[in-house]
Parts: sequence; structure tokens; C-alpha cells
Amino acid sequence: MRKNPLISLTLAWSVLAVVPLAQPQDLPPANQWIPEEAVAVIELARPEALLDPLLSQDLARALGALPVWQQRTATPKYREFMAVLGYLEGQLSTDWRTAARKLIGDGVTLALGPQGEILLAVDARDGNLLDQLHQILRGFAVAEAAKQGQADRVTSVEYRGVTGHSFGPKEAHAILGRRLLVANQPKILKYVVDLKDDPQGRHLAASPLYQGAARAAGKGAVATAFVNLQALRDRPGLQQALTAASNPLATLLLAGTREALKTANWLSLGMYLEGGRLILKAATDGQPPAPAQSAAFATPREPGTGALPNLAVPGAIAGLSLYRDLHGFYAAKNVLFPERTSGLIFFENMMGIFFSGLDLTEQVFGETRPEIRLVVAAQRYDPAIGTPAVQWPAFAAILRLRRPAAFGEVVEEAWQKAIGLVNFTQGQQANPGLILDRFAHRDTKGTVAYYRPPAASGQAPIDARYNFRPALARPGDYLILSSTDGLARQLIDALDREQAAPGPARPVTHTLLELEGAQLRAILAANFDHLVRKNMVDKGTTQPQAEAELGMLLTLLDCVGAARLDLGRPSGPLGARLELELKLPTADPPKPAQVNAGAPPPPNTTVAAR
Amino acid sequence: MSWEPLADPAWAWAPFEPSAAQPWDLRQAGHLYRRAAFGATRAQLDQALAAGPQRAIDALLEPAADVAAFNRSADTYEAAAASGASTHELRAWWLRRMIETPHPLLERMTLFWHGHFALSNARVRSAQLMADHVQLLRRHALGSFREMFEGVLADPAVYLGLGAQANRRARPNLPFARTLLEQFTLGAGQFTDQDIQAVARAFTGWFVFQQDLRYLEREHDSGPNRLLGRAGDWDARQVAQALLQQPATARRLVRQLYRWLIAEEDPPADAFLEPLAVELARDYQIGRVVETMLRSNAFFSPLAYRQRVKSPVEFAIGLVRSLGATVGTTQLGAALADLGQDLYQPPTVAGWAGHRYWLNRFTVLGRVQLAHTLLATSKGPNGPWDAALAVGPQDRPTAAVPQLLADLFLEGDLAEASQQALLAGAMSAGADAAQRQPDGLIECAARLVATPEYQLS
Repeated sequence: MRKNPLISLTLAWSVLAVVPLAQPQDLPPANQWIPEEAVAVIELARPEALLDPLLSQDLARALGALPVWQQRTATPKYREFMAVLGYLEGQLSTDWRTAARKLIGDGVTLALGPQGEILLAVDARDGNLLDQLHQILRGFAVAEAAKQGQADRVTSVEYRGVTGHSFGPKEAHAILGRRLLVANQPKILKYVVDLKDDPQGRHLAASPLYQGAARAAGKGAVATAFVNLQALRDRPGLQQALTAASNPLATLLLAGTREALKTANWLSLGMYLEGGRLILKAATDGQPPAPAQSAAFATPREPGTGALPNLAVPGAIAGLSLYRDLHGFYAAKNVLFPERTSGLIFFENMMGIFFSGLDLTEQVFGETRPEIRLVVAAQRYDPAIGTPAVQWPAFAAILRLRRPAAFGEVVEEAWQKAIGLVNFTQGQQANPGLILDRFAHRDTKGTVAYYRPPAASGQAPIDARYNFRPALARPGDYLILSSTDGLARQLIDALDREQAAPGPARPVTHTLLELEGAQLRAILAANFDHLVRKNMVDKGTTQPQAEAELGMLLTLLDCVGAARLDLGRPSGPLGARLELELKLPTADPPKPAQVNAGAPPPPNTTVAAR
Repeated sequence: MSWEPLADPAWAWAPFEPSAAQPWDLRQAGHLYRRAAFGATRAQLDQALAAGPQRAIDALLEPAADVAAFNRSADTYEAAAASGASTHELRAWWLRRMIETPHPLLERMTLFWHGHFALSNARVRSAQLMADHVQLLRRHALGSFREMFEGVLADPAVYLGLGAQANRRARPNLPFARTLLEQFTLGAGQFTDQDIQAVARAFTGWFVFQQDLRYLEREHDSGPNRLLGRAGDWDARQVAQALLQQPATARRLVRQLYRWLIAEEDPPADAFLEPLAVELARDYQIGRVVETMLRSNAFFSPLAYRQRVKSPVEFAIGLVRSLGATVGTTQLGAALADLGQDLYQPPTVAGWAGHRYWLNRFTVLGRVQLAHTLLATSKGPNGPWDAALAVGPQDRPTAAVPQLLADLFLEGDLAEASQQALLAGAMSAGADAAQRQPDGLIECAARLVATPEYQLS
């Protein structure tokens, strides 16, 4: 295992591992049987922590009640699978849930090598059951091979006192004590046997990189993952991912992450289950950009600064709080984006029109503070106008200004120019334009632009443009740019509440993303028909197939309460923490959600101006 | 290409009857389905062979399936996609309709009329108007051209698409009038500049306001006008009637239909098409002329056999329909646009030039790539290959697989030596079992549909 395979980082991020496993009696931990050259290792240290909820009768009953599950289990293939499972249960004299606990209960380790080598180690609690199952499966394999006229396909070979078996050319396995080893090449299995017998062998557990990652993952993880970035760094795909900087928006969002990964030797992931929450912690030894570096625009320079808490508005689907110095970002654009793309040129041309006569770097972006917040929230529609066929959530950006009195009106003027330009373009195409109006909420004045209601008001569905009533408001130091005036009003209230009881900035966080599963589900459910149709033409599915796919997605979202991603640790190595609140299905699944159905008068209602 | 017996138009347009010299076989059944239905599965070809040519044509003209129910369902999907300025979603739904319709001849003819009127959303900029326009074409695709033409002249999309949204008395729209005469009806050389002036003046007063067609009396030029040698105070409806009374209109339409259903090469003499032109001019019933062409000796003659170059839509839909499968059509619509046929956006008012202009070194390569994608992503109730080959995986003898595929896609038109050479690599790449599996089948099929023969309809 010396050369590099193309192993997707995505795969590594999606699973987990690093602490030594509880090993079967008389055997060293599985990570001591894994060659040092492994580029990615996933270790499931506490299978019972996953098996207990997943194999519970409660969950089985709840899943059985789901229409999507019933559809899946009504297929002939599923029935065939269940027949085989029943046969195995009979042969093993136990039910499959008990068998699963006994077979993988002491841990599972999966290692990937640089040339696509795969090694799986499964530590069983019951060695006899493992042997029994192996004998049965071997019998199946022999019978199948004979049926296909390839009786010699199933082989057993003795190597250094270990019996290795193979059911086909792409698989080799052996059972040592209560540990099952499976490899995709026989030579990997031999390598492991050699390593096992060699006390001086270079195994993963002794690797300083692995040890560093294990320390970062911490103790008590249900599962951990280790990725050797040092070994993968030269891969063309990874190199390209770490160097490509043609998309300014991606660069702004990812901030110093790319730079940190460039210098990182390892990446570790740890998965924890705490109460009803699933927590994923990611860490690397990569360092964030130094303050003088062009990519340092996400690094707070003053103590106690960082991303602000997200603003709470009713019906919030997502909140993203960023610490980004837009002035520093734009001042470094020639270094960050040496190539002037058409997108960048268009952006500069447009901003040049809106902020004519001003220097974009100093006099526009220099007027903003680094605390930026974005909010996405469900919206309700004025019944007198109607509901659009495709319902978009409202969204807004909240910027903090350094000199709100001086710069606020400059932005207001630029915004009205933008609305005018939209109207001009729409007019050229004989499409309806926006009507400008002023509104007041509490002590804040704002500007809203809205479309004239359709002739047949109140009759759904109406055009998608009625999702938008773009608004601008300037409460205090803040500037709100919102897709609807309803959300702008909500944000004015939220900022008032924040001012009354300010939350602390998060100095170790430069990115804070929060998602509300129930609201996300609700907006998807509200657009269910549209998404089904889109799925049908995108994938060529039938309507029932598309409905089943989306039903599955909604069911998954039912299982997620809230999600929260912290990214940052600007003063030290790059780190991330993802928290998912899990709500495993119960026997009484939730009813299909509707956007703010039954809610009291809408917080974010789009009110028609007539 | 010429063929001696076709010198007699009466014989050419008489119903085809199989003979020893010209048997009703797989080649002819495949030919019929390519021209009238994009393509066919093996089972459909077998049914057609058993039924004989005339009954097979009966089934294509009037399918036993509930076409109205299918179209109602498809209309619902399209209606939901017809919003905003882009027709991309609409395009995907039309392609899906072509793939799934139980009445493929109707969709082929709708596509024909789309090319004839050649309205482009690049100018109309409204998915709703384009959907209404194509729906109008579909409604009359095999019905009355008179009603279709009158509908077209009342369709706001047509005015927007031809830049005629404001027909002022002071500024009659000459390009609009020219298109009406040259592309929609009479054809080039059948009218004078004075006729163009007359038609343009007759249409003054018609405006499109926010997608509604309205008539403003004060903007109509009601002075004396002379059209096709006749004086009068012409209005739009009278112009339509006058144009349909001209034999040149029926002749041009028949010639266009001949190109669509019979052959693109070697335009025939007027005398050859005259019986059909006379028939059409009687009441402008399109379906009757289409039926005559499909049933004719000319249709099943060497004059027609593989004498058209498949358009990208015919290539892709034919391939998918022959698998009895379906695919995601959003990406397919974009791929077809790259190959030169962007539905709802014909390149000019003359529609797609077609024929040999479909093929160049880039589009040929594009077709090969598209075929690979379609073969790999097709979905069928039991996997696409069962329907395509009319046998399940276990019933496909290894040796027969290449022949089954070659029969399905080329109906024996590939010389055996060429076929063996072509498939040798694909067949040896997989062993027995692999040839029954999707990968082996895709490789074989992709090689077959990349042949020059397959590009011809």
C-alpha cells in the first residue's frame, strides 16, 4: 500500500473514527493490524451505541408505519431478502438483531489504502456464531460457484498458520479468533498476517499522524475517522480543490478553510451521541492564515470579536452568521482572484452603477463591519393576493455599518437604482415592474418594492414573482436587505430584542450555520408537487417513484430537529463542530407539515400594498 | 434516388401491398415506426409484423390506448411548467411526452408543425405563450390546417415571435407579411412585393399588449388594397382565406410533408405530388394526406427507405422508445440543443434546415456521447433491456444478443461482416454472463447506434 488512490475526502468526512477499539480477547486493537500507509480509516468503536436505537422494536414499528417503508418492503426483492434472512436465523438459532449485536458488537474498522486497497476488520462478541455464519456463507458460495461451472472459485489457503479463504477473485478473508478480516486483494490479507506477527512492524497505531488525530478526536466517540492528508495532498483532485479560487463567493464562504487544509497533515472526525443529539467534531492540524495573508479576512483581529449569534425570527429555516472583513476581502481580490472572470467584471460594472463615484474597496466595503448575518424564513402570503405556485422562502442579509448616518443613504440610493434597473429591464420585455413605497416599523423607516396584484387576486396559484417584495431598512447600526418587507419587519424586531439582551460574539467561530429541520421540511412539503414534477423530468421517474423519493427525504427531515455547524477556531488549528438534534420516528409519525399552518397572525406575512 | 415504378404517381400513392419482391418484413416495419413513431421496441415490431402493414398503420393513426387521458395528464404537467420566461422545463415535458405517448405520430406531426411555423421563445419570452402555441399545433396536427392556420393568426405568440407586436397603420410590418406568405403558406416565388404590402396592411391594427392580442380599429389601414391580383379591403381573416384558396399553399404543404415523411433528397416534380396537393386543397385535412403517404407504395419504396437524416430529437427519442424506457429529459433537452435542435427555439423563421446539416464532426461525436448517456440511464419497469429485446436476462442466449440488438436498432441494414467487426470488441470484452448484463449491452448498443446507418431514418 504505497501509491496513492483517489479517495474522496467527502467519503472520509461522512464517516468517522480514531480511538483504540475494545479488542476481542487475546487480540491487539485492530488499528495495530492496519498498515501505516492507510490513507483513511474509519473505526466504529461502540457499535452498541448505534445498534441500540437502530435495532429497537420501537423504531421497527415506527418505520413499518411509514408509507415509504411499506412501499419499499412490498417489493419481491425485499421478500426474497427476508426469506434468506429467515433461513439464516433458523440456521444460527437466533434472531437477526441478536446476531448483529453478537457479530459486530466489539467494533468495526475499515481502512483504505493509497491504491484502492480495502481492509475491513470486524470484531465479534461471539466467535462461535461468526464461525457458524462463515460456514453457511461458504456453503452458499460453493453451491453458486458449482452452479456457474466455476467450482474452483472458492478456495482456502494456509499462510503462516492462518487459513485464508476466498469466494471470488475480488475478495479474501480470514478469521482470527473473534476477528474477521476481509480484504479486496489476497496480498493485503498476507500483509496483515505479516504485520500481526512482526512486533517491529509499521502499523497505524504507532503513526504520529494517527496519534495526533486520535487525540484531537477525543475520548468517548462512538466512531472516529482518520484521513492522512499528508499522503493525499499530492492528488491532482485534492490539489485542484485546494488551489482553485475562481469563485469569489465560495472563497468568501470557505474563508481560511482552504488555506488551513493546505498545511494540514491529518483530518480527524469524531462522532458522539449525547442525549438525542448527534455531534460530529472535525479537526485538523492545519493553521489558519496569518493576519498579513490575503485570506485572513475571516480572522478576527480584535479580542472578543467573531461571528454574532444568529437572529431569531419566527418560521426561521436557516441562519448563517459570518465574520468576514469585506474590505479586506475585496482589497485582496487581485491576489485571491488573479483571473478577472466575466462574473467579477459584471459585479464590478453593476456596483459601479449603483455606487457611482465611490471607491468600492474603501468607500463601500470599508463602511461595513465584519459581522454579517443571513436569514432564511418561511413566509405567509396575503390571501387577498394568492399563493404562488412555487413558494420561495424569504431571505435577508443583515450588515453592520461603521458610519450608518453617513453611509445609510448611500446604500438606499444604490438600492433604489437597482430596483429602477430591474424595472427598466422588465419594461423592455413587457413584463410587470416593481412599485416603490415607504414603510415604517417601530422607529425604523424602510423602502419596499412590490408587484401590482394580479387581476384575479386571491386565486392560487399565482406567478412566482409574488414571492418577492424586496425591502431595505436601516435600524440603528444595521442595514437589512430582504426579499420581503415581512421578513425585514421581523428582523427589525429581532435586532431590537438583541440590543436589549445582546448575546456574546463567538470569538472561536467565523461561521455559524443553523438549520431548523421542521421548517425546512415544511417548505419542501409546501412545494411537494413542484418537486415531484421536477424529479420526474430530471431523473425520468414516474410520479409514484418521485413521490416515494421525496417522501423518503421528508421522512429523513422528520428525524432532524435542528442542525448547527460551527466553523472556525481562528486562534488555533482549523476545527468544526456539527450538532444534529435527532428525532427517530415514533409509532405516530408527524402529520405532513404546512408552512406556518395554523399559526397566529403571521410574523412574516407579505402584506399587499394597494 | 429514383425508382422506375414511381414514375407513375397513381401507383406511387396507391396503398402498399407486400409482394415477393417487396415483402413486409422487419426492415419495413422498422421504417414505418421510425417515420411515424420515432422508433419501436422489439415487441412492437413483432406485433406490426404479425398485423401486416395496413393494420400496423391503422394502429399508429388511431391507437387503441386512451390517448385523450394521456394527453390530459401530460397537459397538466406542462401547464405547471409554463411559467416565467424560460421554456427549459416545458422542453423537458415535451420530450417526456414524446417518449411516453401512446400516439407518437401525433407528437411527430406536432414537431413537424413546430418546425413549419418555427416560433422561437428567444423572441416570445413566455413559456405560457409557447405552451399554448404548441398545444394549438398539437390540437390540429393531424386535423384541419385551415383551423390551425386561423388559430396561428390569432395567437399572440406568433406576433411576438415575428416581431409584429405592434402593427401600426403608419408602419405595416413587411417581414411579418413575408413570413406569412413565404414560410406559412404559398412559398417563395409565389407572390409579389405588392402582395407583401397588401398582407402587411391587412394586419395593421393588431397589437399584443402584455401577452394579449388586441385589435385597434383606429390603427387599421382600411384603404383599397390588392392581394394576389384581387382588389378589396382586406382584413386578417380574409387574407387567411385567400391564401388557403391558392393551390400553391397546398402544394407547398404537401412538399413539406413529403420531406418529413418520405425523403429529403431529390425533390420530386410537381406532377408527382399533384394528386396529394389536390386532395389537401379540398378541405385541408392533414391527417388524410399523412395517411395516404404512410400507406403508399412510395413510402415503402427505396425512394424513402433511410432517405432522411434523423434530427437530434428523432435520434434520441427513437433510441429511448426502442428501449421501451424513459430517461431524465431536463438534461436531454439541453443535450439536444447542443446538437442543434433546441425545442421551442428554432434558429430562424425557416425552422431547422435539417437533412445533412444535422451532421458534422462535432454533432456526430455529440450523438455518440448522448447515446451512451441514454443507454446507461434509461429506466424501464423491469430494466430497459427486457422491453428492448423482448426477453429477460436469463432467456438471452449469449450468441443471440448481438443479433437481437442489431435487429432492434438496424433491422438487418448493417452488412454482416461490418456487424461482426463492429461488435467483436464489445462481445469479447465480456464473457457469457457479462453480455447479459447492462454494461455489455450498453457497449454493444452504443456501437450500433453510432453507425452511419442508424443516423438515417
